[in-house]
Amino acid sequence: MEIGSGINSMDLDLHEGHVIEDLKNSAASALPEPSRWLDEEIERNIITTTVDKLLNWGRKTSLWTETSFTACCTFEFISTSSSRFDIARFGMEVLRSSPRHADLMITAGTLTWKMAPQIKRVYEQMAEPKWVIAMGACGISGGIFADSYAVVPGYNRILPVDVYIPGCPPRPEALLAGIELLRKKIEKRSIAKGN
Amino acid sequence: MLSEFSLIALFILIVLGFATSLVLIPVALRKLGIVPSQPSAVKSEPYECGLETTGPTWIQFKIRYYFYALLLISLDITVVFLYPWAVELTSLGPAGLITIFIFLGILAVGYLYAWRKGALEWK
Amino acid sequence: MTVQLEYNRIVEALPQNLASSVIAIEDHGLIIQPERLTDIAAFLKVEPGMELDYLCSITGVDCINYFEIDYLLYSIKLNHRCTLKVRLADKSEPAVPSLAGLWLGAELQEREIFDLLGINFSGHPDMKRIFLWEGFPGHPLRKDYGHGC
Repeated sequence: MEIGSGINSMDLDLHEGHVIEDLKNSAASALPEPSRWLDEEIERNIITTTVDKLLNWGRKTSLWTETSFTACCTFEFISTSSSRFDIARFGMEVLRSSPRHADLMITAGTLTWKMAPQIKRVYEQMAEPKWVIAMGACGISGGIFADSYAVVPGYNRILPVDVYIPGCPPRPEALLAGIELLRKKIEKRSIAKGN
Repeated sequence: MLSEFSLIALFILIVLGFATSLVLIPVALRKLGIVPSQPSAVKSEPYECGLETTGPTWIQFKIRYYFYALLLISLDITVVFLYPWAVELTSLGPAGLITIFIFLGILAVGYLYAWRKGALEWK
Repeated sequence: MTVQLEYNRIVEALPQNLASSVIAIEDHGLIIQPERLTDIAAFLKVEPGMELDYLCSITGVDCINYFEIDYLLYSIKLNHRCTLKVRLADKSEPAVPSLAGLWLGAELQEREIFDLLGINFSGHPDMKRIFLWEGFPGHPLRKDYGHGC
């Protein structure tokens, strides 16, 4: 069917199908943990330590979340970001609608293969440095839909995930604990490692 | 006389320094290799909610949008004048009332003109 | 409250050539021949006393031996409803006439059934997948669809 400007919707669909199939084939196994170097003992001197501290302080106290929520864990995130749990305490209350401003992606919810290319693209368009929190059972492993034909079995198939928060859905307290873990992880970053 | 302006000059200098340093600090950090940089083709593409853009993006918009925008602005500006007038209603007295009605009359003429010209119809 | 239209009344109201295509009357629907579906729906849409002018939903069911498609019709004006059912014994190439010409809302629902059950709606303006992507193997709501994917 013609949808204007000489574009055929079937061509778009076929292209989309190719993109999804390619992504599906390339996502046969989970991506490795992005920050395995954290456990290593790295050489620090007085200058790098000071710069590290300043940069990491800036990064961990202004984690801006990308609003790319796919399913029902979102409501726990909404609850967390509202007044009762109040993530404004961590400088996180700014939800960015554009990935250019965001540095944290909270993957709240089930991800279908049809949506996966979009989520991957949004992640790729986020500014450096960036982190991913896999929230909920579906975000970690696909949850009860892990065997499904349509669901990505865990975000770590397509994105490098930093923190996993179990739960179906996780309570806001659990999400806060996950954010706290991520903040601890960010504190360990060092420019000596090219981060 | 001139010294009275020196404070303003100082203020302008501080503003300019602050603004340029905010732009230059990230560039400097990037050049020094302190912050990570992983440029990619996807990253520099336009953001369309994660979708790829379809067709040419340099297309003509319908000029009708501007009529609506202009009308909206002209009606919006009305509030800017009406609100302070309403706050100071009693102290301005009848002179203020007459003035504001003249102002509204001019706006109404403009609005009627736009209406007659068919700017409110979508064609 | 919406009243369930008595199916005997519908069959009596149908003209002779359409009434002959009614296969059976069940508790929850009027089972009709797939070939005459469009005619019957078009008739019920405008017939005074019926005026079933609102297509609420289309549901496709895989009943192992046959496919069943249920059309839930409402009358906004007279506040009653009825269900039309079509059974397709041919499971290899199931096809049924499209109602998208009568109700535009049928278009997306028919595409959904095509996507998940593989039932072809002849006369549909844009018959292609809607939820799954092009190139997806098989139709997952069929009972014989395996988990090998």
